[in-house]
Amino acid sequence: MRMMKQAVMSASVALALSLTACSATQSTKAQPEPSQSGFQMPAYEQLQLKNGLTLMLMPQHEVPLITVNAVVRAGSVQDTSSGLASLTAKSLLLGNSLKSKADTELLVDSLGASLNANAGKEGSYISADFMARDAKVMLPLIKAVLLEPSFDSAEFDKLLQREVASLTRVKESPRAVIGNYFAAQLFGEHPYGNPTSGDSQSLAGISNQQVKAFHQNFYQPANTAITVAGDFELASMKAYLQKLFGDWDTTSMATQVELNPAPAPTKAKVLLVDKPDAIETTFVIGGKGISRDDPDFVGLQVINTILGGRFTSWLNDELRVNSGLTYGAGSRFTPYRDDGLFFISTFTQTGTTAETIDLALKTYDKLWQQGIDQATLDSAKAYVKGQFPPRYETSGQLAGLMADMYLYGFDQGFINDFEASVNGLTLDDAKRLIEKHFPRENLQFVLIGNAAEIAPVAARHGDVRQVEMTAPGFAR
Amino acid sequence: MKPLWIGLSLAAAIGMGESRATTAEDIASFTLDNGMKIMVLEDDSIPNANMYLFWKVGSRNEVPGITGISHFFEHMMFNGAEKYGPKMFDRTMEAAGGANNAYTTENITVYTNWFPAGALETIFDLEADRIADLDINAEMVESERGVVVSERLTGLENSNWRVIQEEVKGAAFRAHPYSWSVIGHESDIAAWTLEDLQQYHKTYYAPNNAVVVIAGDVKLDEVKLLANEYFAPIPAQQPPREVKTVEPGQKGERRVFVKKASVSTPNVMLAYHVPATSDPDYYALDLLAAILGEGKSSRLYQGLVNEQLALGADTYMPKTFDPNLFYFLGVAAPGVSADKLEQAMLAQVAAVAKDGVTQEELDKVKNLRLMDFYRTMETINGKANTIGTYELYFGSYDKLFNAPDAYAKVTPEDIQRVAQSYFTRANRTVGVLAAEEEQDQ
Repeated sequence: MRMMKQAVMSASVALALSLTACSATQSTKAQPEPSQSGFQMPAYEQLQLKNGLTLMLMPQHEVPLITVNAVVRAGSVQDTSSGLASLTAKSLLLGNSLKSKADTELLVDSLGASLNANAGKEGSYISADFMARDAKVMLPLIKAVLLEPSFDSAEFDKLLQREVASLTRVKESPRAVIGNYFAAQLFGEHPYGNPTSGDSQSLAGISNQQVKAFHQNFYQPANTAITVAGDFELASMKAYLQKLFGDWDTTSMATQVELNPAPAPTKAKVLLVDKPDAIETTFVIGGKGISRDDPDFVGLQVINTILGGRFTSWLNDELRVNSGLTYGAGSRFTPYRDDGLFFISTFTQTGTTAETIDLALKTYDKLWQQGIDQATLDSAKAYVKGQFPPRYETSGQLAGLMADMYLYGFDQGFINDFEASVNGLTLDDAKRLIEKHFPRENLQFVLIGNAAEIAPVAARHGDVRQVEMTAPGFAR
Repeated sequence: MKPLWIGLSLAAAIGMGESRATTAEDIASFTLDNGMKIMVLEDDSIPNANMYLFWKVGSRNEVPGITGISHFFEHMMFNGAEKYGPKMFDRTMEAAGGANNAYTTENITVYTNWFPAGALETIFDLEADRIADLDINAEMVESERGVVVSERLTGLENSNWRVIQEEVKGAAFRAHPYSWSVIGHESDIAAWTLEDLQQYHKTYYAPNNAVVVIAGDVKLDEVKLLANEYFAPIPAQQPPREVKTVEPGQKGERRVFVKKASVSTPNVMLAYHVPATSDPDYYALDLLAAILGEGKSSRLYQGLVNEQLALGADTYMPKTFDPNLFYFLGVAAPGVSADKLEQAMLAQVAAVAKDGVTQEELDKVKNLRLMDFYRTMETINGKANTIGTYELYFGSYDKLFNAPDAYAKVTPEDIQRVAQSYFTRANRTVGVLAAEEEQDQ
């Protein structure tokens, strides 16, 4: 490969809409407006059932497939034990009121379909795709998985063993876990510092009973949206889902946590994760970013494209193209509902760790020292606009977009106004965005590598805390 | 011609499905006088398009001393040509709203450009420049060596698959160039010369050695016009020398052990020699790979993961010009030894050879392949990549649309026969990756 996928900002953005659920059935139809310029979101319909469940339906007829996402407003920020939301989502696949675990797996595979469940920081998800002809088999199964999981204790014990072992195994790859260390380093005890996966110790302490209770508390109709995109006829699908999910009764009022933003770091700190057999150093440098409802979300996508969001970005150009120090370097914002993070990331041979970090910092500082010129801004704007439509091409991508719209409370204006927002960005805006949003002081570092070789390098950049890679958890 | 997958794709059960899957008729194909074949698929589902260039050169075209040069060359194709000098390929493309990537395999090198449809001519101009007039800059070569060394190391640091596969391939092949990894030996990365690179470009980056696919919001007439303007003037070259080495038949099991301190539980790889993708047995082997390793109802998941012997177990059979390998990789659950995992994997393999598979299992994986097909055909990039892949590995892109028939014809007896033919002890290489090698008694 020539390069890894560039880190880009999540598609999700919030436009500060109310998340309050209404009690009456309501329906809105969103139609693309052909008169508007730029890429437009395909037509979809949104409605809310009497029980509070939100349905979002978008017919797409390119291939005879349907994607369904169920998204529940509950994620690892609600964890009472680290990893609880994730383990709950995975437990949904251990059997249900219709079928055992093995029979569920056999049915799904027999149709060529997929069925997955997982949790993120702020949402829990079931996602499935299948051939349109199998909708009346898969939709009732999805309902049973979501509403009536059997929480079989023998299967739960086996899942727990596998998950605990996987958390040890995942540490074989620095790239796979450095994000967890960085979130812990930046957010500490704040819920955003909690790794969604949990860690091998916290997970081992979670009981099937806790999982059942998490499901009971949060998997409620008024706390859930079902998004469907694909090859179906709108009126029949709507009627079918209304009937299928209409009898889902509310049995608990989910309580949403209101998070305050985490305090900003007050000094530069370095987390050094020792992996004695490392042949390279993997590192990130960063600080606080933006929340999803920040009005500068789209503008920052453009500015970050210049810094570290594409092949010709400053970071990749300096660290890879000019100096051959790494295979790839980039930067990204990761926004959450109430806070967010920003980081630069790359990797290099152990022996070139010092110069690579120095060059990354020097390049980052160009945002303030040199600033952005009109030609560079124009190029980044063209790039961001040109690469936008393929992010919303498949039924899976569109069902995911609708799930994000539900979870973060934004509407189709994000898609429909995207091009205009990008076009409107001026050099003055760019300067303002840099001053306001890119962390410049008290940067936080995570280095994963051979500590015996790189500890002196780490010490040059802040107060160092050293942990073993094999120690459970992510040094939170 | 009848619609693709007729008989399999029925109207949606809820209301009327209106899907219009791509058919062979939707693809237009023409060949320039210089031998470059171009396929075009008009698709206005998004206002974007792509251009995929498939070059028939990969690590199988290398020899000891220049291993990895195909992949390195892939990097050099971005480092400057006559009209667009160093850095200008990427800068020009990105300023036009386009993005790109490329990948190299044992068999082919593929360049992928994704762009707003209006940038089509810019893409033609950029590609024609580097195909016709690449300017291999000595300084860029040195800097790029560092990039590729980093790429190699980061693969070995983060992927156990990379670590173990490199050793297993090296043991399974002792004559054929599939013996070495695509990224090449570390010492070769440091050693190839400017002349090696210049010769490589002249030999392999000739229009008669390429297949081009363009899919998206474009018009065939426009593509033809641009192809004639930009690509047709590039002269053809003598066809590259064929790869003639045939791997001698394996006479007994081969074994390798790889030590890596940070591996938490042993990984076991089995690799069996199998024929090239053009062989009629391809379809039965591909379905067998799915029966064994795809989905949670697969034999490896049910027999190994569900039994707490493994954290994961997969199969992999690459598409390939020459006879290659059918891989299994298992990752042991805590407390399970490499030997115990290996025996459990072998038992699954032996069960297919001994008892065959059921019709239900076979029907199941045919549906998995049908879904794979639809998912691929849902994007312009999936379409372009698949059309090119079929053109190269199956001899013609329209084989893509015959695949359902080919899969449908496979019987349980075929599955058992290929398992018996290829999954033999003498035909396999076993690799173990672990933190500590087991001690002598």
